[in-house]
Formats: sequence, C-alpha cells, structure tokens
Amino acid sequence: MTRRILGLLARAFVVLSGTAFATFTLLWYAPGDPAHAIAMARFDAIVSTDIVDIVRAEAGLDVDFWPAFINWLTPLLQGDFGYSSVTGRAIWPDLLSAISYTAPLALVGLVIGLMLAIPLAIFATRYPESWLDRTAVAIASLGVAIPAYWLGLLLILLFSVKLAWLPAIGARTASHMILPALTLGCGVAAALMRIIRSGILEAKCQPFIPALQRRSISQSRIARSHVALHAAIPVITVFGLELAFLLEGTVIVEVIFGRPGVGRFLVKAIEARDFPKVQAVVVLTALLFVTINLLIDIIYKLIEPRIGDNNA
Amino acid sequence: MILSVSDLSAVRSGRTILHPTSLEIRLGDRIGLVGASGSGKSTFGHALIDNLRAQNIPVAHVPQTPDQALDPLRSMDFHWRETETALGLSHDAERQTRLFQALNIEDGDLRKRPWGWSRGMQQRFVIALALIHSPALLIMDEPTSALDPIVAARTMTLLENYLSTRNTAMLLITHDLGLAAQQVDRLLVMDEGRIVEDAPTQDVLNNPQSQVAQSLCTHRNWLTLPR
Amino acid sequence: MLTLNHISASYKKTPVLKDISLTLSAGQTLAVVGESGAGKSTLIAVILGLVKADNGEVSWSNSPVKDCLPSLVMQEPLSAFNPILPLRQSVMEPLKAQNKTITEARLAQLCERLELPLALLDRKPNQVSIGQAQRAGILRALMAEPPLILFDEPLSALDAVSQKKTAQLIADLQQEQGFSALIVTHDLGYAAAFSDYIAVLRKGHIEEITSTTEFIKKPQSDYGHELRAAAFSLGSLGYSNLEAKRENSK
Repeated sequence: MTRRILGLLARAFVVLSGTAFATFTLLWYAPGDPAHAIAMARFDAIVSTDIVDIVRAEAGLDVDFWPAFINWLTPLLQGDFGYSSVTGRAIWPDLLSAISYTAPLALVGLVIGLMLAIPLAIFATRYPESWLDRTAVAIASLGVAIPAYWLGLLLILLFSVKLAWLPAIGARTASHMILPALTLGCGVAAALMRIIRSGILEAKCQPFIPALQRRSISQSRIARSHVALHAAIPVITVFGLELAFLLEGTVIVEVIFGRPGVGRFLVKAIEARDFPKVQAVVVLTALLFVTINLLIDIIYKLIEPRIGDNNA
Repeated sequence: MILSVSDLSAVRSGRTILHPTSLEIRLGDRIGLVGASGSGKSTFGHALIDNLRAQNIPVAHVPQTPDQALDPLRSMDFHWRETETALGLSHDAERQTRLFQALNIEDGDLRKRPWGWSRGMQQRFVIALALIHSPALLIMDEPTSALDPIVAARTMTLLENYLSTRNTAMLLITHDLGLAAQQVDRLLVMDEGRIVEDAPTQDVLNNPQSQVAQSLCTHRNWLTLPR
Repeated sequence: MLTLNHISASYKKTPVLKDISLTLSAGQTLAVVGESGAGKSTLIAVILGLVKADNGEVSWSNSPVKDCLPSLVMQEPLSAFNPILPLRQSVMEPLKAQNKTITEARLAQLCERLELPLALLDRKPNQVSIGQAQRAGILRALMAEPPLILFDEPLSALDAVSQKKTAQLIADLQQEQGFSALIVTHDLGYAAAFSDYIAVLRKGHIEEITSTTEFIKKPQSDYGHELRAAAFSLGSLGYSNLEAKRENSK
C-alpha cells in the first residue's frame, strides 16, 4: 500500500510540473508582447517603448525562456504567487479572499447535487425501464443539456424578480448563496444521476446478489451493504471529471450572480491581461485536481484493491 | 419429519421451464437431481428453496462458484456476521470454529476478501455459511464443477463427514450422473422441466426407465463407454 | 513427432513451466492433467509459439512447430469464434490462410460426421448451442488436415453426456485422419478413456508421464495417486468402488 501511494505521489508530481511548464510556455509564446500588454493595462494608454522595456525588466521578462521559467517557478515552489502586473498588489491575499467565496459555493453545490442525484437514482432504479425510470432519465438529460447561465437567469427571474424571495446579485448574506448553489447543484445532479443510476443497475446484476437473498439477507441490507459499494465505484471513477465540470460551472455562475469569487477573479485578470494572476489560478486549479485525483485513487484502492494490480 | 413441497412451477418469458412438481424429502436424505443442462434443474432448486423458506423450514443453497455467493468487495468476516444477523442468530465464535474445522478452513484469514482465499477454500467457506443455522435441507448446485478434482473430492468428503453427524438432508444438483451416483441414495432425473424418474440410485443405474436416464446411464462414466 | 526438450517458460517473470520434456508421436494422444495454475495453458502457448520459452526447444519432426500449421480447440467455444461472422466464415479461415479449398461434398461429409447440420454454419456463434459451437470449433481445427491438434479443456463447457459424445467423436476423427492430439484437461476420466499417455503437471513440473493403462492401475507419482483417488471418488473413473463403499456401510 505504501509503495502504491508513493507511486501515485510521483505521478501527481509529474502532472503538476507538466502543468506548470505548459502554463508558462503557453503564456511565453502567446502572440503579442506580454510586456507591452502589461504596460498598456497598467497605464491604460498608448505607451512608449521605454516604458515597455522598464515593465519587461520588472516582470522578469527580459531574459531567455529557461531563466525566465526558473524566475517564475522558484517563488511559486515556495508558495509565493507574486504580484499583480497591473496593480502591483500581492496576489495571494486577493486570491484567498476570492477562494473564501468560491469554496463554500462549490461545496454546497456539490452537496445539493448529491442530495438530488442519489435519491432520484435510487428511485429510478427501483423499477428499471418503467415510465418512472424513463422520466427520471429524461429530466437528468434535460439538466445536462441546459447551460448554467440559462438556468441561473431562469432562477433569478422566478425567485428574485417574480417572487422576490431571494436576492440575486452579490454575496453579502447566506441567502445570497441559495440561487447560485441551486444552479450549480442542478447541473451536478443531472450529470451524477445518470452515472449513479447505471452504477446501481450494474451492481444489482452482480452474480452474488441472488445468493444474498437466498441467505435471508433483507433487500434494504443488500442495498446498503453491497449494491451501494459496487455502485460507488463508477461514481468515484468519474468524480475527477465531474470536478472539472463543477469548477467550470462555478466560474460561470459566479459571473452571473456577481459573486466576488475565483471565477470573477479569473475573468477580470484575463480581461486585464494580468498574467501572474492567471498563472496563479491555473497552477492552483491544477494542484486541486491533482490532489483530488490522488485522493480518489487512494479511496479506489481501498475499496477495490484488485484494480490496477496485475498479480491478483 | 418429512419436508414436502407441492406443485412447484416456474414460467419465464411465457415458456414453462418447470412443470408443476411435488416432492417429499426425509431428514438425512441424500438426493441427486440429474439432467442435461437447460433441463430445469437449477430452477427447481431455486423454487424448492423459496417454497421451503415460505414454510419456515431452514434451508440453504450453495451455488456453483463462490463468485455467485460472495461479494468481492466485502471481507469474509463481514459475510459471516451478516449471515448470522440475517438468520437472527447472535455471533457464536464456538459454532464458527466448529464449522471451520469441519470444512478445514480454520487457517483462512477472515479479514481478507474472498479473492484473498483460494477457490477451494472460498467454496468451503460458502458451504460453512450455508450450515450456520443447521438447515433441514442443503441444496448444492454443481458444487464441484468449478474446482480442481482433488479439491472437489476433498470438499465432498469433508461435507459428507459433517452431515453424517446430523439430520440435514442434501440435494445435489448435477449434470454428472457419475458424481451423483457416488454421493446419493436417491436419484431424481429431470428432463424439460419435469421430473421423469424418482428412484433409488441403484435402481436408476441398473434399470433406467426414461430415455434421458438411459442416456445418462450409458454415459455415466468414462471407462464404461460403449465403443 | 512433437518434441519438447527441457522447456522453461515464465509469465511476468514468474516461472510457470520448469524443465518440461516430452514427446508425442504421430497419430498418438497425450493427455496433460493437473490442477488449475499448474501451467497447462502456458504449455499450449509455448507449443504454438505464442509464448517464447526461456530455455529449451520445441519442434515438430526437427522443424519449428508452426511449420506444421497445428490447430487449437479452445475451452470456451463462444470466445473461439468471431461473434459477428457466420460460423462458415470462421471455419474456413485455416483453409484461406493456406490458400486451400474444400469441396462442398467434403464439407458436408465432415459436418455429418460432427453431427452439425450444414445450414447451421450460416448462423452466428450465439445462435447455436454450446455443444454445436464446440463441434464447429473441432470442424475448424480439422479443416486444413493438420498433423497436430491441441485441445485446451475441450469438454469443460459441455454437460456430462455431450462431453462423452464429443470425446468419442474426437477419437473417431483422429482414427480417420491420423492427427496427433495433445489434450489439456482437468478430468482424469476423460484422459483415462481417450489417451495413450498421461502427463501429470504440477506447479510447472512434470511429475510423471505414464502410459494410460499403467496410470489407471498404478500412477508413478504421489500426486498422480491423489488425482486418481479424487477421480474415483467423484465418479469420473467409474463407480466400482461405490459398491464396495455400500457393502462396508451395511
């Protein structure tokens, strides 16, 4: 087990350093002169070449690719995300503040998604291929097809404009979280429901299930102790992918609902061509992905150690 | 006591796979149910177990392979305790040790999952599970065909030794008349969802009545084939 | 003549076959028996050249085995055929590979021999019974009239009666066509009834190679004894000792 975890850690390291390298390379070779763009953004005017050169030196962009990469990577490895090239402010405090809005939203969205998807999937699989099941699947497919910005606007229209029950824009109170979290949760639920449904159906067809029944083990017990565990495997497998979907949704939802989270942080940074900020978000996202996937792999190995083990 | 079932039947997708069948089993009986594959033997076994359970008679069923009996994601210990709970028994370490010794699996690591054990040991664990509540009838569905011959022979011997000290009756379902002839005193011959013959083993072997029984007898073992 | 000379082979660096030597003369039958995991399937793979031996050599009359174009009959008839092709096409494959043809009359004759209605060959594998599919597998193996046919547990997917009928059929066809047969099986009863020699394989070693009549009377190795005793008690060798058991219990 220890050896396996070390292997997984090594893999995570490779992915992470690959991401860092790719991020930097893309920005370095992106069309246009980054120093010029930064100077334009900072002074909001046509700038002279002298000023561009000063900015270039300041941003550490006046050297070759490799020294520049090292210059960029060294503070990053020490946990220092550097300074905004536009405002000159340290990035980390601003980013942390953005995260403090985004993380709860993503988490609540995920919980809502699971709370919708699991009961719906259990309900649907009670009578597979019945009209109940088909309706549930149809609703889920619809949910996947509806884009978050459309659903978000729909919810704002209904609950904020028509009914005036909930605030739409901002993030001051907890009630500001309800609509964006619901928007996010619906998307997550739609995607997860279909996976959980097929997971449960497949688990119910496992060859040992009839034998459990013949051993007088109750249906509910079989569902809880056996079917749930087998159904969890495909869900865990796609969870890493679902996370990408969740983050993508969060960015959109934050912009729609005017929440000062990472989504808006990123969108503003891109608009301002604030490269250090963009890099910080990209590297942090990669780190998050690698960590979650590492955790998934470990959970996976705990549930089903035979997977990926050729000697079993 | 006599276990009796009447008019067991089964229909699947509009086709009758088990015609109404009645049967009486005395405690301690050793009965073989033989027939070609697809003759309805397993269906009969399942119908029998459902019917007897509905009568509150303790019965147990051992399927052909351990894969059909054990959840690969759960430990042996989990299976054992789960079965005890389901049967309304409290955990009894002494009973567990006795059964494990009888089936020679006392060295198995209960914390492991099924695939951490050899197949032969898994199969004997499943048999031990089936015997927890001292059932009145033990149904064995092709218990040896997935095992190596030496392991299979040993398993049958251990089981027979254990059963010989109690009242449990055994129904051995198999396509192999040679195997059944070794193990049972009474043979049921099944063909297309019907029991076409029910007689003492020797009588069926010496004087098979139905065409199926005749074919099974002619081909009952390798060394006496008509050349 | 098939010759294996001090063959060793491994799977993922674990030794599976250790110093295997055996010979199989033309027209004869060698049964390889032993527990699962003893290396029986690897032995077949080595003979066919699918797995390279670490040591030793395999040959058919002093040339590589693949030159004699041997065929293989597999355990699971369904996995032996392309599921989307009609059986006829799969059965003809060995002929095509060698640019040979067969007359329809000869094919009909073989089919009749195998109790396979000709029309059945136009069906797909999952549209025939397991027994029929296995006989189609044997038909395919016979097509190009190879001098050597390997059988990997050819009967274990069949029920007791079809097992015996199919075994009889293989033996009769062998008489007619004169091929050598190497049969891997866990069923000592089958080996006892239909082979000239029995090789006992255990944990990659050959424990003994004994003529079948000798083996039935008295195996050479302890493990051979155990196998023989197990086959008796499972009724696959005969039920002669059953009467004895009954007498004792009375």
